[in-house]
Amino acid sequence: MLEDSGFSEVVIGDDVDTFGGATGEDKARTYEVYGYAFLARKPG
Amino acid sequence: MTEDLLVDSGALRAEVREKYRQVAEAPDASYHFHTGRSLAARLAYERSAVDGLPDSAVESFAGVGNPFSLRSLEPGDCVVDVGSGAGFDSFVASAQVGQAGRVVGVDMTAEMLEKSHKSAASLGLENVEFREGLAEALPVEDGWADVVISNGVINLCPDKRAVLTEIHRVLRPGGVLQFADIANGRPVPEEALRNIDLWTG
Repeated sequence: MLEDSGFSEVVIGDDVDTFGGATGEDKARTYEVYGYAFLARKPG
Repeated sequence: MTEDLLVDSGALRAEVREKYRQVAEAPDASYHFHTGRSLAARLAYERSAVDGLPDSAVESFAGVGNPFSLRSLEPGDCVVDVGSGAGFDSFVASAQVGQAGRVVGVDMTAEMLEKSHKSAASLGLENVEFREGLAEALPVEDGWADVVISNGVINLCPDKRAVLTEIHRVLRPGGVLQFADIANGRPVPEEALRNIDLWTG
């Protein structure tokens, strides 16, 4: 979707266990939900 | 793209606003996500960036990742923080861009904005301001930003393409979008996607 929206050079960081130990952990595990950092550039 | 939306945008926005009003006013209550300094440590924010901030600037932080982990900001950068909440990431950005830079935080929740305004004033920051607005309609002029940051916000917006188009508009050519958000490894059933309660909880 980032590239469809006009961005390029997309980079995705490592997964982070955002919900581990929180009350939402079970739901997050069900759908393998993790946090990620994203980087993208608007072409110059 | 609105024909593809699985939930009512207005209803979802109201639900999200209510959830984050609670996080602003009762940051130590129980939520399905972590908050505050322990979350910042979990997400590997540099301690030096966090320790000097007052509790009011950190306690309502509810991000899902670290938008500064892949790239730090440059001194002098003009930055937009989409969904700035109580201002935590804006304050981290403020320190990175320095006095020559500027940070504009945008949020739709009045209680978060009030909190971010107070924290900025208490910190004496002159390179940060907070504006009321939506991710789909940022109160920022075309091409103003060198960098757009965001943390755990785009996943709460039903029309993600509209948000990305708006971010693209406010970035200058060559500008950078660096954000954190959640992604799922297993498909979420359409029935669940249509359940607004599951978007925020």
